[in-house]
Amino acid sequence: MGLLSILKKLRSNPDKELRLLLLGLDNAGKTTLLKQLASEDVNHVTPTAGFNIKSVLSNGFKLNVWDIGGQRKIRPYWRNYFENTDILIYVVDCSDHQRLEETSQELAELLQDEKLRAVPLLVYANKQDLETALPASEVAQNLGLHLIRDRTWQIQSCVATDGTGVKEGMEWVCKNIPVKK
Amino acid sequence: MIVFNIWSTLQWYLRPFIKWFLRKTTRLCELQRICYGEKPGASRTCAIEKSLLLSRTPCVREIVSYLDSVVYDRRFIPENFREILDPSVSVIMRAKNIKPSLHGPFITSFRNCLEQIWSYKSLVDEVEELRRSQFDSNNPEHEEKLLRLWTLLVPDVKLESRVTKQWQLIGFQGDDPKTDFRGMGVLGLENLLYFASEYPQASSHVLSHSLHPKYGYTYAIVGINITSMAYYLLQDGSAKTYMFNAKQHMPNVNLFHRFYCYLFYEFDKMWIEAKPENIMEFSIIFKKFESAIRTELADPATVFRINIEIDTI
Repeated sequence: MGLLSILKKLRSNPDKELRLLLLGLDNAGKTTLLKQLASEDVNHVTPTAGFNIKSVLSNGFKLNVWDIGGQRKIRPYWRNYFENTDILIYVVDCSDHQRLEETSQELAELLQDEKLRAVPLLVYANKQDLETALPASEVAQNLGLHLIRDRTWQIQSCVATDGTGVKEGMEWVCKNIPVKK
Repeated sequence: MIVFNIWSTLQWYLRPFIKWFLRKTTRLCELQRICYGEKPGASRTCAIEKSLLLSRTPCVREIVSYLDSVVYDRRFIPENFREILDPSVSVIMRAKNIKPSLHGPFITSFRNCLEQIWSYKSLVDEVEELRRSQFDSNNPEHEEKLLRLWTLLVPDVKLESRVTKQWQLIGFQGDDPKTDFRGMGVLGLENLLYFASEYPQASSHVLSHSLHPKYGYTYAIVGINITSMAYYLLQDGSAKTYMFNAKQHMPNVNLFHRFYCYLFYEFDKMWIEAKPENIMEFSIIFKKFESAIRTELADPATVFRINIEIDTI
């Protein structure tokens, strides 16, 4: 291997360790998604009191995924985990029509936060296996994703319990890693 | 690791010789030596279980698989014990040349071990079934249990409606608890219900801690996480120490519930003593708690009891 190609390699992966922040309302499927990413059993999930963290290897990156509990009482603590986030992953339960408004407000607040400025956003439109689930396009509309100007974003439909669509989302993540200064 | 592997292989080959030697010198078979030598409870029952599983005597292996099949068919229940266990004990005693007339105490002790070992296996299946059944709000029985949980924990406050923010008072996440049971299913609800109904003082003591302005936590959610912990301890066999040392109780669902109550009560104590900054410290303290419990369970002599006397003052 020549010096040039080594340099190229180093340049393309300046920092192979990434911090991913997983947020969303309670019962959106964050912990199931986390377990799915780590190839763990997803049938024994319990509601998250506090947070979970796992390191996952994906496409040559070491992803440190932080899964923070989504219940209302915990949401004020979300801010404590914003620092140094490389990618924000927001999980939506597409079958929970009643709280679509609530989840969209929470997301809007996140996007206004200074600490998360310009951090790429991936929205997982979860629970697509349920009959009542809204399609990803409609969820995007509701969340007002098309109005986002200050960062790259993507919406990915998925079924966290069986893994459908999860990989595609993570591929997008690995392609959209912000260049570190 | 390699040394350990060599040792366990060596043990496998040496075992028959050691056993033969001991049998000749003590004139007792291994099962007898365990029953007479080990303390009753977890040390004895676990040693018997290990001996039975490692046995190469065809008769013993047959009995083991027969008892397994009885558990599989859900027939290992107290009504059938006599009909299942008595012949099993006699077959093994005949195979091992143990004279019933000389070894009365052995029969009682050995039979008790068999009862404990297979009751535990049967319990694992039963708990798994409860865990697998999802909480279903269309099932009147599930609904009734949920409402009873409220009445037991907060007897003075009436629930305004089935879907209400009031549920958060006892630590559910939103206004409908149905989505909070998740992977623990009805097992989570049954556990919470047992704690509230059988240990009303302890559970209201714990609930009051969960409402503490500074060290508060979400009672039901933490409870469901404790269910998960109890479930795993049962599955991987760690809970045997607890179950086999519980005098006068065979492993059954109620004993599992008691185990849960013990864990919940002890977790609450540890949480309050840790003076956590906020709920975000839950995972760290919970892990610490689990490893402390695992250490205690690793010692077959440990006996667990809830010390409720404290809060009746």
